[in-house]
Formats: sequence, structure tokens, C-alpha cells
Amino acid sequence: MSEEFFIKEFPNGLTLLSQPMSAASSAALTILTPAGASHDPADAAGAASVAAEWHIRGAGDRDTRQLQDALDELGSHHSEAVQSEHIHFSSVQLGRNLADVIAIYADILQRPQLSDASFQPSRALALQDLASLEDEPARKCNLLLTEKFFPYPLGRCVYGSQETLQSLSADVVRRHISALVSPANTILAVAGNVNWDELSTLIERAFGDWSGQAGPTIAATDQPAGITHLQKDSAQTHIALAHRSVPISHDQYYAARVAQTVLSGGMSGRLFTEVREKRGLVYHVSCRHQGLKDTAGMFTYAGTRPEVAQQTCDVTVGELRRLTEGVEEHELERARTQLKSALIMQGESTSARAAALAADWYHLGRLRSLKEISDSIDNVTTRDVTQYAKDWPAENLTALVIGPKTISTN
Amino acid sequence: MKFAEAQLDNGLKIVAEVNNDAASMAAGFFVRTGSRDETPEIAGVSHFLEHMIFKGTKRRSPMDVNREFDEMGANYNAFTSEENTVYYGAVLPEFQTRLLDLLCDILRPALRPEDFDMEKNVIQEEIALYQDRPHYRVYEALMNRHFTGHPLSNSVLGSAESIGQLKRDDMQRYFDRRYSPGNVTVVGVGNLNFEAFVDKVGQTCSLWQPYDTMRDLGQPGDSRTQEAIADGKVTREHIGMMSPGPAAQDEARYAAELAATIVGDQTGSRFYYALVEPAIADEAHLGYTPLDGTGAFMAFVSADADRAAEAVRIARAELKRFVDDGPTDAELQAAKNKIASYATLRGELPMGRLTAVGFDWVYRRQYVPLAKQIDTLFAVTKQDVHELARRCDMTATTVLGLGPLESL
Repeated sequence: MSEEFFIKEFPNGLTLLSQPMSAASSAALTILTPAGASHDPADAAGAASVAAEWHIRGAGDRDTRQLQDALDELGSHHSEAVQSEHIHFSSVQLGRNLADVIAIYADILQRPQLSDASFQPSRALALQDLASLEDEPARKCNLLLTEKFFPYPLGRCVYGSQETLQSLSADVVRRHISALVSPANTILAVAGNVNWDELSTLIERAFGDWSGQAGPTIAATDQPAGITHLQKDSAQTHIALAHRSVPISHDQYYAARVAQTVLSGGMSGRLFTEVREKRGLVYHVSCRHQGLKDTAGMFTYAGTRPEVAQQTCDVTVGELRRLTEGVEEHELERARTQLKSALIMQGESTSARAAALAADWYHLGRLRSLKEISDSIDNVTTRDVTQYAKDWPAENLTALVIGPKTISTN
Repeated sequence: MKFAEAQLDNGLKIVAEVNNDAASMAAGFFVRTGSRDETPEIAGVSHFLEHMIFKGTKRRSPMDVNREFDEMGANYNAFTSEENTVYYGAVLPEFQTRLLDLLCDILRPALRPEDFDMEKNVIQEEIALYQDRPHYRVYEALMNRHFTGHPLSNSVLGSAESIGQLKRDDMQRYFDRRYSPGNVTVVGVGNLNFEAFVDKVGQTCSLWQPYDTMRDLGQPGDSRTQEAIADGKVTREHIGMMSPGPAAQDEARYAAELAATIVGDQTGSRFYYALVEPAIADEAHLGYTPLDGTGAFMAFVSADADRAAEAVRIARAELKRFVDDGPTDAELQAAKNKIASYATLRGELPMGRLTAVGFDWVYRRQYVPLAKQIDTLFAVTKQDVHELARRCDMTATTVLGLGPLESL
């Protein structure tokens, strides 16, 4: 598979990235705008979630319905997601409709209507999303763990709290949007059926006059480790654990990815083998690597019946810690194959490629080729993985437990 | 894109959509069996068996199976529904033969008693897991009410009791009846070599003994109940609504897909504007579910308890308005664009095509290239969609709520 990347940095701070893919008929668009939840003022937590919903309720000359209908007419599959650093807009459609979709997003970002009438329902939906978490304990467990684990407020729950959402006013969110949604540090990536010359001219025309300053950087504070138990009369005890890892820019990053794959790649991973296959303690157990720009964590989750929750936690933590004793050559080889296969298979998806381009630019300030990633994976040795595990051990765990009774992580 | 098919002497069918431009290939075993083919004594056996398929064969231990999938870097899994059990894997093309060797072998499982007993715990965990998901509980209860007295009302997971009592030999008997080669379709998509594909499948699967398999295809009765299951542990009111739809074998399925998109797509639909946009519900969508010999429209709405009754009233009114007046030209055109665009996007990935090609064969014994399906979709008229909505009577719904409310 030959890869060709294009990069253009505009004077107003916007970066355009593109990867044409000859076999694709679709073109995927990803926009990362630095107005994520960690920027929410403390007394206005949830502002970014409301802002993301409010942004698509009318922009330019189109009201909510006209905007939605225009995207539908173009066969756009779009979503708005709030993350720690960014609001992430994405839309995938046939390549021939890309230009029209970009024109709509130019309105959404630069000329959102943000009308009083559409504020109240945007906020009401955020409140309902927050309430829905009560009926999804596994998701709630992982969201709250992220909030407790990362330096505050980098991992803060994107929905805020009932109090902050209810007190949010349209003016507060408007000011927040105008301070943060700007071309400075915004990344726009397109992958798939796209021509670079046409795309860069189009973006120049649609976003070239956009102006605005970068928002302030966030001061984050480390939080103490420890266990938080939320009492709930649930059928399962939900156990989520986190410990420190390295971000993508760190030289141990690929060792971290191999370590995570040895623990949790496929059904032969150590966690699945020991916790589910040998002991039948869970249906779901897994571990994932989640990175922000300057910090990262290994997040482990297991859902189990309360009577075996302590045993499940003991076996799970035992496996996380056993990694310091080393990994076998065959485990490393399997992990390499899994990581590289996944890379190639994800490379077939235009949406996955657009998101990867934008993420690379944000985390590294450059784009990684398939070959660079593949070589980096190949270069990881068993010693590297062991050293990584020793440098970043599963000690001082941050834990979030939802269920009838608590457990111990020691 | 090229279609190819073959059949073994014992009745096993092999179909493939070959695309040599793809970076990967995928293979799936589609077994025409699920909870609708179970009797109450063995409720949940199809799904439990799906787990046991990964527990090894005469020549592979459970750990061997997991390890070999992962050594290929495969993206693999399985799922069980009311009427299908599907095992699949996607790999880089160089692993085609190894993947098939593994899939063909595990489809004749050892069902060792010690593995059976251990996996029973995992199934019980899975049942507990879904107890914490009101969405799933509504789905299950809605199917149960809508298809009362019909095998489609059976739970896919079974119950803690039925799983607890299930014996290894009951599973073996079920397996012998249902996994007969004539009841299995092997599907390949993406960058694969069809000749080698057929050779490899033939090597192992031609030894499989055929048995007669049957399915009760009786029509379900007419259900229009409304009920609320009060559960103080659930915070929001989760509502399911279900009405009859055309069968998987019915050409009207295209019109049904369009009707569902117009009324209840996640974005830009009538439900979206009537319920989500004004924030009466945070979720309100309607989908079309084609089934073997029958079909359904299923809607899910979640709302604050104090607005749940209003949400149901609005959803019913939207369904009635659609049955009375049909779609507008603009709505129909947008729905066609959305469906065609989505199908094209899925079609760019072998995994996205696998179930489409597989179910085309399982339900209709036919292969229709994506471009032709899109042509058929675009030929559907406003009258076709309106006529379908009236014929099915989309307002004839079974309604079920789960949450704080005693009634809707």
C-alpha cells in the first residue's frame, strides 16, 4: 500500500492534513478544535458538551433543520464528540460530496447561530446524557475513573454535573465558544477519495479568512491514587483500574503498546486467559492504553458477580504486576503480528485514517507512515517490554468500583 | 468485485465476493440456527454453544484456538441471534488458508465436560452483565411480548436457571441437529483466492455428516399490548415499540428500510425532530429488522420518567401521520442518499461486506452486487413506501416501558 501525505499550515493557525486513498470512493473529514472538556471553567463543567450540540443547531443561513437536511441530502454520516482537549467533528460521505460538506462545516465552525431558542434543548440533552449514565454502570465506572486518574481537570467527565449544567447560561457558553473555537491549533484532516490541489484551494477559500486567538493552556494538578466505591445494587460489580503509562511521544510508547497487547490483545492475552478462560470469573476483562498529549494511562476493566469480585480483582492486578517478570518471545511475536495486522486493516477505513492523521499531528506535530509504525513495533524487544513494566508498574492504582460492596486493590 | 460459489456433496454452500484491491480478507461460517430453534428445556443453548465452539476440538485445546487466531493477528468473534449463529475472522490475505483451517476445525467442537462447566460460569456472568443494561432488557422483553406464543419470543441468552440446568449432552444433541452442512453457509469476502478457499473448506468440511434440519416458520400472532415494568433501580424510562414488518425474503424490505430511515434514523428523521431536537427524549430511533419469514419495525426511546408518556404519545402520533400521509419527496430522496452512502462506506471494508453477502445468501439464496442493490433502492417510489407503511400498519404497536414508571 503506497501512502502519500499532504500538509498545509495556514497563517491563521489552521493545519490541513490529507491522505488520498485510491481504492476508496468515500472521503472522511475529521476536525479537532481545541475547545474540549478540560477547558470548561470549573463552575461551568459540561460547557463543551452543550457547545458541541449547540454548534450543529443552525449555522450560516441554515436553521437547525436546514443544516441537518443539507447534510442528509449529501449522505453525510456525521458525529460530534467531546474529548479532553478537543471537540471532535467528523463526517464521512462519498468523495464527490466532500466539497459541499466542507462548505457546511465552514459555517458550523465560523458562523454557528447559537440562538437562544436552541440553547435550552442543547443543555437539556446534556443533562439527559448525564442521567443516562446511571443506567450504564460499566460506562460510568470508566468515565469516573478517567476523571480521578488524570491530572485534574484533564480527564474530567465531559457531561459536567447536574449543578453546573443547570446553572449554565447561553451567554457563558457563547463566551466560552468565542474564546476557544478558532483556527489557532485547529486540525482538519481528510482521507480517502480526494484530490489535494482541489482540497487545499477549497480549504483556503472556506477557512482562510477565519481569525481568532489560541485559548489559554490548562494548569492541571496531580491527584492522589486510591479506591473510590460507589454503592449500587447492580447485578455485577464493575471494577476499573488505572495506572500510569507513557504518551505517544515517549520513546517507550511502542513497548507500552506491546505490553498492553500481551495483557489484552485478542483472546490469548494474559488477562482473558487467566481471569476468564482458566477461572470463569468474568465475561468481560480488558486493558487499554489511553493517552493525552503529556500523560497516559493503562485502563483495566472487569465486570463480575459480587461474590467473586475480590478474587477477580486479585487475579487481574496480579497479572498487571506479573508483567515486570518479563514476557516470552512468542508473546512478543504474537503481539507484533496483532498490532501490525490491526494497523493494516484499520488503514482500509477512510474514517480511521482521517482520525489517525489528526491525532498524529496533535500528539507529535508530524505524520507517521505505516512503515515507521511497523518498524517501531518490530524493534521492540522482550527486554524493552520488561523494562517498560518495571518503569511504569501497576502500583498506586487508581480504582473505581461500582457495585453492592467494595473490594481491596492491594 | 467478482462473485463465486461452490457446493460440497454434503450440501455445505460456499459463496464469495472477491475484491483483489482489498488489503484484507474475511471469512465467516453462517449457521442458520438460534434461539427460535430451541425448546424451553434448552433455552440459551445456541448462544452457549457459540462460546463452546472456541473451546477446542479433537486436535486443538481451548488455548490453542485463542493463540492461533491471535498469531494471525485476526480480527475475530462470533454472535448469536434469534435465528443465526455466525463465526468470523478477518486477516491479511497471506493467512487465508490458516484462518480457514482453524474455522473449519472449531466448527466440530469437542465439547469437553470440564470446559462446558467452566464456560457455564462465563455465561452466567454474561447474563448478569445484561441485567445491568436496561436497553438490552427492554429489547428482550419487547421481543417476548411482541412474539408471544411464537419461537421468536425466546431469549437468546436463556435464563440463569435454564443455563444452570443445561447438560453437555443436551448441547451435543442440539449441535448434531443444527450444525448439519446443509444448514451452514461459508462466506468469503475481500482479497482471497477462491479456488484455494474451496479446496481448504472441502478438505475438512466434506467429512461432515448431513442431517435433516427443520425450522418452525409459522406466522406470529397479532400483538398490541402496552405494558410498563416498574424497576426502581432504573433511573430513566426505557421504552420499546414494535410493529410488524416485511420478511427478509420480501422485496418490500427496501421500502421498509426507507420507511424506518425517514421515521426514525438517528439524525434528521421525524422522531429526531419530534423528540430529540426539542430534548423530550435523548434517544429516539426506529429500525427495520428483517427476519426469516416475518419481520418487524422496532423503536427505542429513552426519556426522563416525567416525560415518558408524552414521548410515547408523540412517537405514536408520528407513526400515525406517516401511515396516513406517507413520505415527502425530499424525505425519500434524503433517506435514499443516506442508506446508499452508508452501504458504500461499509462496503469499503471486507468486514463490512461479510454480513451483507452472508445474509443475502442465508435468507434469499442470492448474491446481489452492492451497485445493483443501490439501483433497486433508488427505484423505490413514494407510493411504494406509503403502501408498505399502510400494509404493515406501523401504528399497530406492542409497547413496553422499563424504568421508574408503573404505567405509561
